Amino acid sequence: MTGRKPGHDTVRLLSVEAESRLFLRLRATLAWETIRSMFRDSRLRLTLVVLLSSMFWGSLYGLFVEAFAFLDDLHADVISLLFNAFFSSLMMMLVFSTGILAYGGMYCSPEARLLLTLPARAEIIHAHKFKEALWFSSWGFVLLGSPMLAAYGVVRHSAWPYFLLMLPFMIAFVVIPAAIGSMCCILLVAWLPRLRLHALSVSAIAVCVAAVWVGWSTCSQIQLDTMSAAWFERTFARLAVTEQKFLPSWWLSSGLIEAARTDRDGRMSAGGLSEAVKFLSLLVANAMVLQLFAGWLARLAYRRGYSQLCGEVPARRRRRQGWFDRFLGAAGFAAGRPLRLLLVKDLRLFRRDISQWSQFVIFFGLLGLYFLNLRSFGYNNVYASMIGFLNLAVVGLILSTFTTRFVYPMISLEGRRFWILRLLPVHRDQIVWSKFIFSFAGGLLPCCSLVLLSDSMLGIPWRLVAQHELCCVILCMGLSGIAVGLGARMPELRESSPAKISSGFGGTLSLVISSLFIMIVVILAAAPTHLFLVANTLGPGFVAPSGMLAWAGGPWGTAVSLTLIVAVGLLATFVPLYLGLRAFRVLEA
Amino acid sequence: MIEFDHVSRTFGPKTAVSDLTLAIARGELFALLGPNGAGKTTTIRMLVGLLHPSRGAVRVCGHDLVKDARGAHLHLGYVPDEPCLYDKLTGREFLWFIADMFGMPRRQANSRIDREIEHFELGEFADDLSESYSLGMKQRLVFAASFLHDPSVLVLDEPMVGLDPRSVRIVKDLLAARTREGMTVFMSTHTLAMAEEMADRVGIMVRGQLRFLGTVAELREQMALEATTLEHLYLEITSPRGRQP
Repeated sequence: MTGRKPGHDTVRLLSVEAESRLFLRLRATLAWETIRSMFRDSRLRLTLVVLLSSMFWGSLYGLFVEAFAFLDDLHADVISLLFNAFFSSLMMMLVFSTGILAYGGMYCSPEARLLLTLPARAEIIHAHKFKEALWFSSWGFVLLGSPMLAAYGVVRHSAWPYFLLMLPFMIAFVVIPAAIGSMCCILLVAWLPRLRLHALSVSAIAVCVAAVWVGWSTCSQIQLDTMSAAWFERTFARLAVTEQKFLPSWWLSSGLIEAARTDRDGRMSAGGLSEAVKFLSLLVANAMVLQLFAGWLARLAYRRGYSQLCGEVPARRRRRQGWFDRFLGAAGFAAGRPLRLLLVKDLRLFRRDISQWSQFVIFFGLLGLYFLNLRSFGYNNVYASMIGFLNLAVVGLILSTFTTRFVYPMISLEGRRFWILRLLPVHRDQIVWSKFIFSFAGGLLPCCSLVLLSDSMLGIPWRLVAQHELCCVILCMGLSGIAVGLGARMPELRESSPAKISSGFGGTLSLVISSLFIMIVVILAAAPTHLFLVANTLGPGFVAPSGMLAWAGGPWGTAVSLTLIVAVGLLATFVPLYLGLRAFRVLEA
Repeated sequence: MIEFDHVSRTFGPKTAVSDLTLAIARGELFALLGPNGAGKTTTIRMLVGLLHPSRGAVRVCGHDLVKDARGAHLHLGYVPDEPCLYDKLTGREFLWFIADMFGMPRRQANSRIDREIEHFELGEFADDLSESYSLGMKQRLVFAASFLHDPSVLVLDEPMVGLDPRSVRIVKDLLAARTREGMTVFMSTHTLAMAEEMADRVGIMVRGQLRFLGTVAELREQMALEATTLEHLYLEITSPRGRQP
């Protein structure tokens, strides 16, 4: 055993600074390469994201300008209350979302496993993964918060330092709940491994129940006295809990309100600036201290927690065949049995994949909650109809995100199992049809129920309810056809991640076509109804539509619009399916 | 170089590794064998510091993997069964990251990276993003990264999965050369022929316990079976009704 000595004489442990720099370089290289590949490979997606985000930002900005102008006339204290309520609820959400993202990044990712086998400090690995979790959890906050704060500054005619201070305020603020979330995550994993799931579930349920209670009690008692003095008093009393001075959300809102203050000449007031800087310093100091605590905790408990988690025995889960699976497998003619068995398989995969059904439940649940609160406000027929159609569009848009995210990749995900399907006595068309039926039948019940709920809360007449339900059926059918058809036309059989499949060119195209389809259906349905209601509801002094417009608003116009909706629905369903079936028949995998 | 000192690891009520005591000397190539669920992966995870022992201690070059993980990792190279790379880094950038992590001076890092790229024949694709690599290419890159800092101890978990015959030969030759130079290799494998060909000693683990430790010749002697292969011996030991050494 002679010769070269293994080279630990040439290696050394890095200093904290050098290690931090190395991880920063890694992050920068990864970010740069991700941006480059987005420009190179996903231009359509990038353009859509930028375009839709700008539209979203602009719409929010316009909405907030109107709202602040209205509230500014009404009462200045309302602004402070609104800021506190908004930022404190976002703070809670950031604690949870960063905690969950930090858990995924620090304990479940292959990268963490690689880094923990290298001579890297636990606290530096934590800082590296914390930045990632912070970015993913807080971009929504910036997208929602920045138009609101910009609109506030514009309405208040604030001086430029206010706009300059906005970003540092927001960054300093988001670090605080994010650090708390990541610390909770480390503590739970390291010291409460068995309680982790229960603790998380109980906290999540408690927060949801509290949010629902606050929302319900705030909205349900509001009937016809909306915006009255009594209504304001009641709402103020309920939201006063968010105005605690120890909350970072209070520091943020107070600091921003101070920064927006101007003197008579329209310049930033000296008192306001010093107060704003004081609150900003408070936020920055707390953010830094909490990051130090989080680093210290990671040094103490990250590796231990990772080991705890590796040591957990996955529960052995035995699944029995459910009654519905048995029913679906046995019901009907023998000829359709392969199709039904494919449906049963997809249904089982959906049921056992928590990420799919939980998102389905959360989105449709939140929408249901919003619809339940619609009765709190009084509407005339025109507004009720307009809101009804907007709700129909929202239901369609949410369904389209699901069909794009979960249904579009279904054919691609068969890629690695494609040889099984090819060896089965199943015609390839049946595979595509089974996905279509699965998506169509799965979306129909929740979507139609939600539209019915929305219409009944708005007190919409039965004729319009029937029209909405028809549109909803058409939307479910068309969106399923688009997602399944394009999924079969452009499969990515080598990709195993549904997220990557749906975010590629085909997935983006599916989302764009789905959105256009929803817009066309809703506009075709809404236009004649809206004109009809305008002509029959508004009082004297209003010039009722005449000529073409009157015809469009009449029964013939409605009949034509319904015929067009059905035609568009059939086209949106069967053209992509035809293209998909044709491509899938000759696909070689 | 590697010490397992009365190491046990439990997962709830199940004991994955029971009172493992094992010392592996400098320049030795040790192969850990055993059926699925025998505790090989748990042992490897404790050796690379991903899992802490419930009892006992694991040391690499005298550094305890729990108390001084970084000190131990400085001497360790690890090739996992599933290669993990950054999709958005090229092979060369990944090797630079590893070299920087071990604090290697730039000139030396540069020459070592070139050396490993040549050894593992990565030149054709070293400057492509690793998201475009096949499993075999990824595995070769992970090997290159693990050899980069000339570790005193190399830990291999099912190292030949995904490698083509030519790459297997390259790896075998390198392992033989480096162990001659003093590197210690701890390898977990199901490829008995490779263990028989390369290992100085083998350990056979069954249900968390080291059922045999020694050379293949010693195993034959203890089992009183002349002129038989390691496969026969292994199946005899791991069979529920088989003979014990």
